[in-house]
Amino acid sequence: MDTRDERLVVRLGDVRKEYGATTALDGLSLRVRAGEAVAVMGPSGCGKSTLLNLIAGLDRPTAGTVEVDGQELGALNETGLALFRRRRVGMIFQFFNLIEDLPALDNAALAAQLTGTPARQARDRALELFDELGIAERANAYPAALSGGERQRVAVARALMNRPALLLADEPTGALDSRSGEQVMDLLIDLNQIGQTLLIVTHDPGLAARCASRRVELRDGQVVAEQSLDRTP
Amino acid sequence: MSRGAGAVWRASRAAVRRRGAQTFVLGVVVFCSTVAIVVALGLLESVSAPFERAFEGRRGAHVVASYDPAEVTAARLGARAPGVEAAAGPFAQAVVTVAGTSEHLPPGPLTVVGRPSPGGPVDRVDLWAGRWPAGEGEIVLDRPGADRFFSYLLGVRFAVREGHTFTVVGLASSVSRSAEAWVTPGQAAALGPSTAQMLYRLDAAATDADVRAGTAALTAGLPSGALLGWQSYLTVKRDAGRTAAAFLPFLTAFGVLGLVVAVLIVANVVSGAVVAGSRHIGVLKALGFTPNQVVAVYLTMVLVPALAGGALGTAAGAVAARPLLDDVGAGVFTVSIGPWVYAATLAGMPAVAVLAALVPALRAHRLPAARAIGAGVPAAPGRGARVQRLLAGAPLPRAVSLGLGLPFGRPGRAGLTLAAVVLGAATVTLAAGLSLTMTAYGQAAQRTGSVHTVVHAGQARNHQTPPRHGDAEIEALLRGLPGAVYVTADAWIGLHLTGRSQPITGRFLRGDSATLGETVVEGRWLRGPGEVVAPSAFLDKRGLAVGDRLSLSLGRARAETTIVGATMDGAADLIQADWRTLTALAPDQRATQYEVRLAPGADTGTYHAAVRAADPGLYPVPKSGTDPVTVAVIGFASLLTVLLGTVAALGVFNTVLLDARERRRDLGVLKSIGMTPRQVTVMMVTSMAALGAAGGLLGLPVGVAAHRLVVPAMADAAGLALPEFMVDVWRAPLLVPLPVAGVVIAVLGALVPARSAARLTIAAVLRDE
Ligand SMILES: Nc1ncnc2c1ncn2[C@@H]1O[C@H](COP(=O)(O)OP(=O)(O)OP(=O)(O)O)[C@@H](O)[C@H]1O
Ligand SMILES: [Mg+2]
Repeated sequence: MDTRDERLVVRLGDVRKEYGATTALDGLSLRVRAGEAVAVMGPSGCGKSTLLNLIAGLDRPTAGTVEVDGQELGALNETGLALFRRRRVGMIFQFFNLIEDLPALDNAALAAQLTGTPARQARDRALELFDELGIAERANAYPAALSGGERQRVAVARALMNRPALLLADEPTGALDSRSGEQVMDLLIDLNQIGQTLLIVTHDPGLAARCASRRVELRDGQVVAEQSLDRTP
Repeated sequence: MSRGAGAVWRASRAAVRRRGAQTFVLGVVVFCSTVAIVVALGLLESVSAPFERAFEGRRGAHVVASYDPAEVTAARLGARAPGVEAAAGPFAQAVVTVAGTSEHLPPGPLTVVGRPSPGGPVDRVDLWAGRWPAGEGEIVLDRPGADRFFSYLLGVRFAVREGHTFTVVGLASSVSRSAEAWVTPGQAAALGPSTAQMLYRLDAAATDADVRAGTAALTAGLPSGALLGWQSYLTVKRDAGRTAAAFLPFLTAFGVLGLVVAVLIVANVVSGAVVAGSRHIGVLKALGFTPNQVVAVYLTMVLVPALAGGALGTAAGAVAARPLLDDVGAGVFTVSIGPWVYAATLAGMPAVAVLAALVPALRAHRLPAARAIGAGVPAAPGRGARVQRLLAGAPLPRAVSLGLGLPFGRPGRAGLTLAAVVLGAATVTLAAGLSLTMTAYGQAAQRTGSVHTVVHAGQARNHQTPPRHGDAEIEALLRGLPGAVYVTADAWIGLHLTGRSQPITGRFLRGDSATLGETVVEGRWLRGPGEVVAPSAFLDKRGLAVGDRLSLSLGRARAETTIVGATMDGAADLIQADWRTLTALAPDQRATQYEVRLAPGADTGTYHAAVRAADPGLYPVPKSGTDPVTVAVIGFASLLTVLLGTVAALGVFNTVLLDARERRRDLGVLKSIGMTPRQVTVMMVTSMAALGAAGGLLGLPVGVAAHRLVVPAMADAAGLALPEFMVDVWRAPLLVPLPVAGVVIAVLGALVPARSAARLTIAAVLRDE
């Protein structure tokens, strides 16, 4: 029996992921407790994105188990995975990945509408988030008209729409200038402060130190170091 | 420079390889279009001047001249003359009189020429049945070979008043109309007083004046009475090929349509490919490609499939077009596909592709790299956003409303897809309409299925057995024989319009005349006495209209009538009226023939035997059934429709494929936020089905309107009045499948990439960036 704080949101058991001859993850195990903010670091090609994709159910491991928020992903079919992604995880990418053909607000509202929330309610929720993220006045703009920082904040709003158990971010500041990067990071810290579980991939040790409670170091698809940081949740 | 060219070539090769499917479809579209264009151009060339083609193909004689052999020697005639390109002859020529003893040949004068063979340097006669005369008593008759209708004349024996008997050993036709029959030279000499026929091809023969001057030069040194008469090919040309000519406008319309559509579709597909690549253009620029190099990459990328498709299409067209057109052309036109056609497609198709690529490529050329990377992506909220907002709130599954809304986000790209569908739908509609009109016209002109047998009453003056029965008895007898359904008795009588000197022919009908299958273009068919119907050509010639009164005279007798209808027929001196109108003019007139329609499945031969057995004075002749020309022309129209439809469908498919591929990343994104594979497929399919339906619904009226514009214009050009039912060929059951077809094609085009994207792991799709 876990206490609330001890509840595991992510449990990876001996996960392998191979792309043909390439081994991206090589028997990796990882646990993330609710409320934690974990920074995944490591050199390029060590398997960070692969790890995140497996946790988000965007891809399947070659071997091993992936359990997120109590759900064993291997047991789900494609549709089951989609329903899982809808409700349990939110994801932020380095290059935003917004739908260019939809205005900013609709990009966010879409996530809630997929869970069956009526359009009006979905929009209200999105606007609420836009307000908090400081992009309310850009709600009707198309992504192409937004700055990188604004786009990433739209992506954050979209990821948060369904109050996910886990927020995944793959180098969320990688495509931003340092000021916008800071803002986005501050945002993630604030979210973690109010209880949002975070798993962030980043190259920047400074950012990691600022926002993470734990740092996981990957090399060649394996965890080589783990370090609790001096930052209490 | 060479290093730059190498980079361009490498980038183009990479682009071609990366877009393998698209390059392939583009090649296929160009291939099909090229085949269609070769056929269309060949058709246009062949129908543009059918007489000239046939004339040149058979080296027709510009001048057919008859000389008096007493005034000029054969040696003198055979000598080279100035202004003459080629000459043939002299051939002995005689006029004989066919005795009225044959049931197959009209009695009267027959011009016979003695020629050793149908070939030669001038006027190569087309011997389409049998063989050339080899000895005494053998003759070849001049008859059109179009539908081989006259084949029954082979083997017929007939006598001439001059005391000879001939057997028909062959049937031939001369484009120069140089004779009505041919025999061996020896036979011709034996036929008595003869003239000498010379056939000439002149150096200059474009106009009447040229021909006249040429003829004057020929006879310059001869005694004044030497030239007995001559005939210019221009005279022959003027009244050549009336019925066949009616099809030419339709075929021309088809040729032009095929040409235009094929070019438009290639242009659409190519510019679609370039627009889709605008992002790539930005990347190339960012890499340091100069604007010109970027344009070069795109043109090369398009040229590769265009050249391949164009070359293969030209080769396939070269193989297929001639037999295809030959089939249709029989009797209508001589197929002629000049080398220019192949040159035009070989050079033209890549040129069209390059031009179509150039416009969007040049636009990309001007765009700054940063904007090109985001090109085609909406930056400002506009009408699209409003529609999308409305749809987002609509009570529809989100996947459906998203699919409906997506095209509004990028109107430029959606516009190209829509244009492809509209073009495709309009093409298929117009082509199908032309086909339907041609079928209707062909059947009406042939009066298909209306009359199967024409029974002539034997006439003593033609040395035939007169019938044992009276006129009315014959009609009843024919009606009573097994197999007969309808019988119409008719008499053809020479008449005058009261007060006018030019004779006309009156055809008077009794019995089931309404079942003759005559097509009424205006007004109605005969209902009783005192009424006439006339071909529109008859009315036009005399400035008459339906409703006008017409007074007919036969000797002293007169009949006052009203024109109640105009028929679809080219005869300018024919009227048709009810038998009771004839009774007023000539009370004792008997019917000259009886037209019989048989029950479906009834055998003509059996019926004929029954007729002959019932009265040996009755001579049944089978009516030439479906005209092979009509069948061929209609078959060809259907084939061209299918070809154009395929090209149009491919164009739509390709554009949709591009559009859907473009959205692959979006699909990955949507899946990452929890769209199920099913929803993804539904969304893509909805999106393209909406465009397909919109395009189909827009294209349909465009096609129908074009049809309503083209058909009357074409008929007008041919001097033909078409009844409404031939123009108004559209029926609901025909119209429904067309937009449906648009939707189906669009859906198929969407399904392929949508399903492959739905199957792809999202991680892989998103990694593509
Ligand atoms: N879809 C794929 N197909 C083939 N190989 C892949 C695929 N995805 C990842 N890889 C390989 O797996 C390894 C790990 O890739 P991954 O993207 O997880 O690295 P990363 O740590 O995120 O690197 P970076 O910091 O550069 O983003 C790499 O060697 C990569 O080339
Ligand atoms: Mg990565």
